[in-house]
Amino acid sequence: MNGGVHIAQEDLALYGMGNLQGEELARVRTHLQSCAACQEELSTLAADLSLLGLGAEAHPVPAHARARLLESVQDEMEPAAVSQVHPITSLSTTGRRRTAWIPWVIAAGLAVGATGLGVKVNTMQQQLQERSRMLAQSQQEAMRSREEAARSERVLALLKAPQAQRATLTAAKTPAEPTGHAIYLAERGELIFQGSHLKSLPEDKAYELWVIPQNGAPIPAGVFRPDRSGDASVVMPPLPTGVPAKVFAITVERAEGVAKPEGPIVLSGVPMPGA
Amino acid sequence: MHVTKDRGNPRSSYVLALKSCILWQERRKTALMTDDSDNPMGLPLRSQKNVPSSKRGEPVDDDLLLRRVSQKDSSALTKLFDTYGGMVYSVALRVLHDAARAEDLLQEVFFQLWRKPESFVSGRGSLGGWLLVVTRNRAIDILRRKRPTESVDDNLLASAESLASEVEREAMMQQVRRALVGLPAEQRHILELAYFEGLSHTEIAERTGQPLGTVKTRMRSGLMSLRKALQA
Repeated sequence: MNGGVHIAQEDLALYGMGNLQGEELARVRTHLQSCAACQEELSTLAADLSLLGLGAEAHPVPAHARARLLESVQDEMEPAAVSQVHPITSLSTTGRRRTAWIPWVIAAGLAVGATGLGVKVNTMQQQLQERSRMLAQSQQEAMRSREEAARSERVLALLKAPQAQRATLTAAKTPAEPTGHAIYLAERGELIFQGSHLKSLPEDKAYELWVIPQNGAPIPAGVFRPDRSGDASVVMPPLPTGVPAKVFAITVERAEGVAKPEGPIVLSGVPMPGA
Repeated sequence: MHVTKDRGNPRSSYVLALKSCILWQERRKTALMTDDSDNPMGLPLRSQKNVPSSKRGEPVDDDLLLRRVSQKDSSALTKLFDTYGGMVYSVALRVLHDAARAEDLLQEVFFQLWRKPESFVSGRGSLGGWLLVVTRNRAIDILRRKRPTESVDDNLLASAESLASEVEREAMMQQVRRALVGLPAEQRHILELAYFEGLSHTEIAERTGQPLGTVKTRMRSGLMSLRKALQA
């Protein structure tokens, strides 16, 4: 404690974010050194503020960024590899010096051994070439996988991006109505839903998406609230696998969601046949 | 449906529900990979995270990956990059508004993690939370053409919320966005100016044309509302 006078919360927050300078910075820093209460408050504020970065719009990593990082890592590791090789070269030089005084019989023996070694080196070179070829093939496959993953990420980011422009095309002069589009793969239990022109709800209410199977109770598939423009999305909610949907429905429920639908159905749709 | 609270700091039931989904998904993954003998008690996977040696010898949690990074295992670094790269890049881009500079920062953050994995101290938050803070602070330094923030990185504190899986990140992302959208526009704007542009009270007052006292009051209210929304 520090005489009962504490640093204001907003000053602590700016200190935690590194936004204070000069006298203000010195004042807060000095106070913190002797005030456990303010240290505690700073910890709590810092924890809350650290999550604000998640409020940023999600963007996929540029496609080549991963390879670039790996290159930097390899470059950094290479000098170490060179320094490990160097003593081996020195050793072989020393070895040559020693041959000047070792008996010729041993030298001849070494020469015979060298022939055998030459054969072995050739074999190893072939193996090395084969492994290089396989490595290049793996790298190409990895590159293709990364490109596919990057594309999938872009698709997902587009679907989720709050700033993406969305439009539902309707017949001319038809007023915009609340609509929803569900894409559901029953065998994998994967679902993406996008809603448009949804009406805003009171604080204590939320929309809840349901997968209604042919037999059995409706399965909850996500609770959501639309943004100011009425858009909303539910991406990959946890769902059981292998349950085809007879109908998709959206109800208005309590904000925390419910296990069984209680509120009125505001949207519903039957999956198109043929899927 | 299982709902597990990690700490004594309960979040909203919405997030708890999402976390239960995480456990469900993790259990589903486990079911795909293992037989019941791996988990005879049916424990949530989280309870098994610290088991020192898995049958597959394939450590997946952040601590183990960091340990492998400190042993110069580049595949562990790429796993961390695959997990957190998008989040880091998004924050960098939001602050810098420049894709090339954001990517440079993305590289810098992960290269530093490679060179100095010990910079992350697990007692000060989760790895995901720490990366968010490091990225944001460094981006602000770049934006304001400052040298790397002195001593802050050594002492920085971050949320302990795990962001290691996509579902956890998505749940927390939605909660933060809901918290921000729930704030009055002026409070949100002030918090964003402080967080994403690194402005002080005086600078925010100049930028917005609001009196200094109003800026402080609104920031305080915004912080309190944010806390309430994140801990409700």
